[in-house]
Amino acid sequence: MSAITSFLAIFRGRRLATFGLIWLLIVVVAAVAAPLLAPFDPLDFDPMVRLSEPGWPYIFGTDHFGRDSLSRALFGARMAVLIGLGSVLVALSTGGLIGMLSAYSTRLGHVLMRLVDVLMAFPALLLALVLMALLERSVLNTIIVIGVVYATTTARILFGLTLKLKNEVFVDAATCSGAGHASILFRHILPNLISPLLVQASFIFAFSQLQAAALDFLGLGLPPEVPSWGNMLSEERIYITRAPWLLIFPGALIILSVFSMNLIGDAMRDSLDPRFKDDIAGV
Amino acid sequence: MFVYTFNRLLALIPTLLAASILVFLFIHLIPGDPASILLGDTATPEEIAELTRAMGLDKPLWTQYFIWLSNVVQGDLGTSVFFREPVLAVIASGAETSILLACMTMMWIIVLGIPIGILAATRHGTWADQLASGGAMLFASVPTFWLGLYLILIFAVGLGWFPSSGFPSITDEGGVFNLRYLMLPSLTLAAPNAALIIRLVRASMLDVAREDHVRTARAKGLHPARVAIKHIFRNALIAVAAAFGFTFAALVSEAVVTETVFSLPGIGRLVVQSILRRDYPVIQGVILIIVIFYMLINLLVDLAYARLDPRVSLS
Amino acid sequence: MKLRNWAKTTVLAGAMTAIAGFAFAGGTLRYATVGEPPSLDQHVVTSDLATTIAHHIFEGLYTFDSTNSPVPLLASGEIVSEDGKTIVIALRDDVTFHNGQAMTSADVVASLNRWGKYGSRGGLLFGNVESVEASGPYEVTIRLSSPFGPWKNIMAFINGGPAIYPASVVEGAGKEPIAPENYIGTGPYKFEEWQANRHVELIRYDDYASPSGDADGYGGARVADFDTLEFIPVPDVGTRVAGLKAGDYDYAESIPGDLYADLEADSSVTTILNGGPIFGLVFMNSKDGPLKENFALRRAIQTAINKTPALQVAIGPKNLWRANGSFLPNGNVWYSESGTENFSKGDAAAARAMAKEAGYNGEPIKFMVSTNYPFHYDTAIVYTKQLAQAGFNIDLQVYDWATLIEKRAQPDQWDLFFTHHGFVPDPILISVMNDNYPGWWTTAEKAALKVRFTESSDPAERQAIWSEIQGLIYEQVPTMKTGDVYSYNIASPKLQGLGEATLIWPSFWNVSK
Repeated sequence: MSAITSFLAIFRGRRLATFGLIWLLIVVVAAVAAPLLAPFDPLDFDPMVRLSEPGWPYIFGTDHFGRDSLSRALFGARMAVLIGLGSVLVALSTGGLIGMLSAYSTRLGHVLMRLVDVLMAFPALLLALVLMALLERSVLNTIIVIGVVYATTTARILFGLTLKLKNEVFVDAATCSGAGHASILFRHILPNLISPLLVQASFIFAFSQLQAAALDFLGLGLPPEVPSWGNMLSEERIYITRAPWLLIFPGALIILSVFSMNLIGDAMRDSLDPRFKDDIAGV
Repeated sequence: MFVYTFNRLLALIPTLLAASILVFLFIHLIPGDPASILLGDTATPEEIAELTRAMGLDKPLWTQYFIWLSNVVQGDLGTSVFFREPVLAVIASGAETSILLACMTMMWIIVLGIPIGILAATRHGTWADQLASGGAMLFASVPTFWLGLYLILIFAVGLGWFPSSGFPSITDEGGVFNLRYLMLPSLTLAAPNAALIIRLVRASMLDVAREDHVRTARAKGLHPARVAIKHIFRNALIAVAAAFGFTFAALVSEAVVTETVFSLPGIGRLVVQSILRRDYPVIQGVILIIVIFYMLINLLVDLAYARLDPRVSLS
Repeated sequence: MKLRNWAKTTVLAGAMTAIAGFAFAGGTLRYATVGEPPSLDQHVVTSDLATTIAHHIFEGLYTFDSTNSPVPLLASGEIVSEDGKTIVIALRDDVTFHNGQAMTSADVVASLNRWGKYGSRGGLLFGNVESVEASGPYEVTIRLSSPFGPWKNIMAFINGGPAIYPASVVEGAGKEPIAPENYIGTGPYKFEEWQANRHVELIRYDDYASPSGDADGYGGARVADFDTLEFIPVPDVGTRVAGLKAGDYDYAESIPGDLYADLEADSSVTTILNGGPIFGLVFMNSKDGPLKENFALRRAIQTAINKTPALQVAIGPKNLWRANGSFLPNGNVWYSESGTENFSKGDAAAARAMAKEAGYNGEPIKFMVSTNYPFHYDTAIVYTKQLAQAGFNIDLQVYDWATLIEKRAQPDQWDLFFTHHGFVPDPILISVMNDNYPGWWTTAEKAALKVRFTESSDPAERQAIWSEIQGLIYEQVPTMKTGDVYSYNIASPKLQGLGEATLIWPSFWNVSK
């Protein structure tokens, strides 16, 4: 309970960040309840109503298959949340683990951080491109690829943070009282890293949306049959003048969601322990 | 500093080797082969096998790698399967676009980012600050291809101010005026990165204002304006160094998308096209050069930081 | 040096526009292409994009007039012996290559032999060729083992066809495409440079010797008005349209049907329909998998599909497509209604019953399609749904084009795959007639008809045999035609001489700005 109250306290006096939080809640609700909210099947098409303007019954209009854009946008929210949470999970678990272990054990650190260096030698989108070309286009692969790309930065950050904490008094105290390595890492150090991890998570969530949209645009992201905001833009981009709604709605959804997540991350970072602030770059 | 630089350069070699093995492996594991793409629809399996053999692609992967590596060490990146031209020449023709695009993008970032960042910091907490910070973040939240599509629609098709796409070399007809082709792409690419710089400049200036040595300087009776100018200048330089790093990273990252939207003959699109064509030598060559470039830029940025920011030491 | 060059040209260009300001022959044509061709070597490459560029550089002995009949180009005439086995072709004696050498029978013999051995479509003709010899400095004699009706059509089709190169270039050339420095032809434009991802540039060939007679289709006089033709890869179709509207390009190819109405109404754009329609093809695997030799099951699949909704979705406006089952369009000499009653039944219930009778028990059917061509993907989505409604278990596999090409060469990887086919003037050139083409349709019935088809040189008889072959295609279903698509290109209204429609590939001789 107190965790929630202190989380909400971050938003006191921050109107923009509050707006971001509300928008994100809307997206999450849409994602969870997409099958209930969507007026049509997002995959079902009807050539007779293709490229209908926004109106009734197609509130966001229809695309060139004659599929309902609103229903696709609602299921697209599901993809947005899935990609966001998935890449955060992959990035934080693998990157976080590598970073913490490397900082904790110098010998292991030497090997693991060199691996991170190699991966960081590739610019983010380039690495994602090569990996996606290698793997098949699928939701899971997109999540893994984006997650791996951000795992490297996460590892670097966690490496730095753990190093700082390692030499603090409470860690020494735990070592003296006979705590094992795992116990020190996960019961003593990790809890102190939760809030910087959350901040990092919010930025990864935001960036993953843009990366996924870029991959969709290049034809190397989610399978084309999956309704996602990026695919909606990519597939219908030739209709920019013929059916402008097909680009405006999904575009606005991506921008609003990324913007919201950035605002939240920013607010959270401002309330961080000053020791950690400099380590997280964010936007 | 000299020793540090040397060590850093030395440390690049194993990273580079590992990266090149990784790339080689990845690229060759992608299904599809250049021979069948080259020979087209009506080629028989025998013909494809023959060309594959002629291109040396039937050898074991490790053998292929060592042949490639030994050639690279001698400065030979091989020949493009698709263009039948030396890889270095193919890359060089793309490099003109990429480097000019990056320079123009960086110019926008500096011209827009630094003054707005300073403005936001000096007006800390006012509506101007909020507008600058909020606007910067909004721009960082826009998918680049989406922005690019609308810029073309408005400024090329609608207003006719700038060309929509393509980029003739500045050594061709039109000369430096051909740079106008890069106007919209560089703005597209600058938008999210300028936002980064605005925030960076703002934050670092606010930090500096709180820092001890500024307070000390003031206490010593130095004129507040002099203190401000000196530190603004120094922070601006740090921001420029950062901008340099960001932009050249973006040169191949976000530029892939921008170059696709604007049909620019740059390195980014070359990578995507070469992946689609399974042009192994080009992909390997380009990625190798990008990685070297990227690591050197990172090193340069670190060095610049060390020179400019008294808090950073290179030990 | 280069710096001085551009400075000079800039100043010069500025002065010229200031003084002149009137239209005159010359200038540059900027053509926005869908991408870059794999090579311009016409012998081995069948990409339409390659031919669009290359037929300005290279010429064959024959070409097509506006009615798609073969007419002489580098040849001046021919005499065919009574038994149809000996063809003596006379060559024009005024033709020079872009390197300045005169074109003689030695070049023609060398080119024909390389094409016959390695060319994509060379085997069609050379299966019957005994020898090709120079019987004079400007005369070539071809001896056939049996009469071969479509020889002239095949020779006139420059795409994957016998372009004439200098003997020095083709000597030693194999299956691998020749390199750009050897792009030496006889055409009105010559190859200048190829900058990766930037452009392929052709410049006017000032010593060009044009064939005589009025221009008619690709035949007759050819005049190069432009100084330069620039083919610029602009893969994003939205950018092609925007670029043409903004005046950055004079011509842009392959524009989506849905934009047709808007572009037609736009006075800053001219639309040019392609005369010959392209058509989608769904190939079935005759070598492996559940469809191998199971013609009844294939017919069940054919019966399940209604072609019209796919054309509506993938193409759009009604005037740009025809749900036409004949492999060549209505009005063409090869038009036939044989078998077309089965073209687009869309009867799910009947299909289900037929499939059951054919022993189908819901085994997965792998359907490969590429996203590189939106029209392929859109059509496959519609078909997949229709097939599912008829009880077929379709496993739709979406790849990029390169992967699809590799996978389709492996019989165990697929059951159906989607591709499209350009317009061809003779049905022998349709890919399904080629026994080696993935799908590998090689039944005895086909082989028998094919022999009769190629041995006859009587047009009426050949049309009748083609009708039988088309009927067989609807019965054995080696491939399913998806309907005719009239693609279109857009051009700047400033271009003069483009005509109403493109014959097969856009051509820019006799065109000016």
